[in-house]
Amino acid sequence: MTADKPATAGRLSILSLASSNLFGLAAIVAVFWAIFVSLTPNIASSFSLFAISRSLGIDIVVGFSTMVVLATGGMNLAIGSIGVCAVMFAGYLMQELGVPSPLALLAALMLGAASGWANGVTIVTTGANAFVVTLASASLFFGAMLITTHGTPFEGLPPELADFGRMRWGFVSPMLALALAIGVALAILFHFTALGREILSVGANTRAARMSGVRVGRAIVVAHTLSGLLAAVAGLMTMARLGAAIPAIGRDWLLPSFLAPVLGGTLLSGGAVSIGGTILGALLIATLRAGILTLQVANFWLQLFLGLVLLCSVALDRYRGGYLERKSARVRA
Amino acid sequence: MNTRLLEKEWPALAVAIALGFGFLAATSPAFLTEFNIYVLLRSFCISLLVAFSQMTTLAVGQLNVSIGALGGLVAIVAGGLMEKLGVPIGVALAAGLALGALCGFVNGVLVTRTGIDGFIVTLATASVFDGINLGITKSIPFYKMPAALVAFGTARFHALPYLLIPPVLAAIALAIFLARTSLGRYLLAVGGNPQAAELSGVPRARIIVLAHSLSGFLAAGAALLALAQLGSAQPTIGSDWLILSFAAPIIGGAALGGGYVSVLATALAVVLLTLIQNGLVLEQVDPFWVEFLLGGLILAAVGFDRLRAARAGGG
Repeated sequence: MTADKPATAGRLSILSLASSNLFGLAAIVAVFWAIFVSLTPNIASSFSLFAISRSLGIDIVVGFSTMVVLATGGMNLAIGSIGVCAVMFAGYLMQELGVPSPLALLAALMLGAASGWANGVTIVTTGANAFVVTLASASLFFGAMLITTHGTPFEGLPPELADFGRMRWGFVSPMLALALAIGVALAILFHFTALGREILSVGANTRAARMSGVRVGRAIVVAHTLSGLLAAVAGLMTMARLGAAIPAIGRDWLLPSFLAPVLGGTLLSGGAVSIGGTILGALLIATLRAGILTLQVANFWLQLFLGLVLLCSVALDRYRGGYLERKSARVRA
Repeated sequence: MNTRLLEKEWPALAVAIALGFGFLAATSPAFLTEFNIYVLLRSFCISLLVAFSQMTTLAVGQLNVSIGALGGLVAIVAGGLMEKLGVPIGVALAAGLALGALCGFVNGVLVTRTGIDGFIVTLATASVFDGINLGITKSIPFYKMPAALVAFGTARFHALPYLLIPPVLAAIALAIFLARTSLGRYLLAVGGNPQAAELSGVPRARIIVLAHSLSGFLAAGAALLALAQLGSAQPTIGSDWLILSFAAPIIGGAALGGGYVSVLATALAVVLLTLIQNGLVLEQVDPFWVEFLLGGLILAAVGFDRLRAARAGGG
C-alpha cells in the first residue's frame, strides 16, 4: 500500500472527468430526492430541510477530514476518536473550569490539530502504514478520553452553543454555511497554494515528489494535522447540535468519512481531491439517511444501504481509475 | 523475509508472558485459582480465532475490517436457525461456518475482481453485514439457545474449558497449512511479492480469495464460540474485535504488507493480551485502560519492528 504509484494523469483530464463524475452524482441525488419526496412529502418540510442541512454540514466536514489525508494516499481511522476527544475537552473546560466558550472551542481545535499532528509524525518517523498507526491511535485517544472522563457526558454547557445548533437561516442551518466555507478554504489550499500542490504531488507519486524537492514528510504531517483539526470541527458541530458533550460522538463516523470523499471521486491512491464531490457525496449520505428515517420502514436497514452504496461507488471509482490511466497513456503517447 | 525468520518474535513474547504471569501470581491471590484460569482461557479461545482470522488476510497482504460484522452476522444467523426454525445444533453450526466462509469469499472476489483496496471493500461489506444483522434482529438477541450448546459453552475439565478444543485444533491445522502445504506457502508467496508469485505460476487472485474465505471461516468459528459461551445470540457479538484482531498478529510480528505471519507468535500475543486484560480486572484497574493499552501496544510493536528493521539494515 505504501508502494510508489505510477503517475496517473494530467490535470486537464482530471478536471473533465471530475466534472462528469459530479454531474452523475448530482443526478443520483436528484433521483433519490424525487423518490423520497413522492413517498413522504414530509421530507421537504421546512423543519426537515433544516435538520438535513445541519447533519449535512457535519457529514461534509467529516468527509473533508478524511479527504485531506486521502490526498497524500494515506488514511485516518482516528477521526471519530479525535472528534470525541475535542468535544469532551471543550465540555470539561466549559462546564468544570468555567472557561469562556470561544476560548474552550479554540483549545479543543488545538487538541484536534495536535492529535492529528501526532499521527502524522508517528507515520513519518516510523515509516509504518497509516492504517495501523491511526487504528492504534484511535484506540489510544478514545481510551484516554474514557479514562479521564469515565464516559460521563457534560450536559451543563453554555446556552449559546445549543443556540447556535438551533439557529436557522430560513430552512438552512448556519452549520452548512460553515462547512461550505471550509470547503472554499480547502479549495484555495489545494488549487492555489504551493503547500496544497505539494500534498497532492506526494499522493500522486511519492518518489517523483521527493526528487522534485517536495518535503514529503512535512506534507504528510500537514495533511494529518489538518485532518485532526477538521475532525475536531466536526465534533464541536455535533456538540452544538446535541447541546451536550457526549462520549458517543464520533463512534459512527468511520463509514461516512470514507463514503463522502470516495463517492465524490477522491482517488483512494491519492493525488487528486474533489471538494465539490465530497460535498455531493455527503449530500447523498444525508439524503439516504433522512429518506430512510422519514419513511420509518427500514431504519435498521440503513447500514446495509450505506454499505451497498459504498461498494457500488468504489466499483465505479475503480472503473474511472482505469479510464484515467488509459487516457493519460494516450496523452503521453 | 529471511532476516525476519532469523529474529523470531516468540522468545520476547514468552518472556513478557512469564513476567506478567509471575507478577500476577505474586500480587493477586485470586489469579492462580482454578476458576480464574478457566475464565482467562475462555476469553483466550475466542480472541485466538479472531486473531487467526485477521492473520490469514495479513498473510496475503490484505486487511479485513469486516471480521467483527461478519462474526455478528454468523452468530445471529446460527442463533436464529436454532431458536426460530428449530434446526439441530450441528446443522446450525455448520451453516454458520459455511456462511462465514461465504462472506469471506464474497470479500475476496470483490477485492480481486474489482481491484479495489481490501480496506475499502471490507469497510463496505462490514456495513452490509452489520446492516443485515440489525435488519434481522432489530437489535434484539435470540435468547433461547439449545441446552446442549449452552452446556458445552460452560463445560470444563478443571481449569480447561471444552471451548478451548476448536481453537487449539485450528492453531495446529493453520501452522501445518502455512508451513507444510504448498497452498499455504502460496499464501505467503502472494503476500511477500505478488508479482514474483504470479510469474512463478501462483494463481494470485484465487489465493487471495482463499485467504479471505479462510478468514471468514475462522471469524465464524470465533462467533460460534461466543454464541456457546454467552448462551444467547447477541447482535453485538464481534463489535469489539477490530482492534484485537490487528493487535495480536502485529504484536506477533506479522508484516502488514504480507508475506510473513507466525501462528505461534500470534497465539502468544493473544496470551499476553488476555493476561493483561485479566490482570487489569484482578488489580481492579479502570476497565477503560484496556482500549488505551491495546493502542499503545500496537504502536510499541510498530516502533519495535521499525527499530529492528533499521538495525538489520545497518548491520
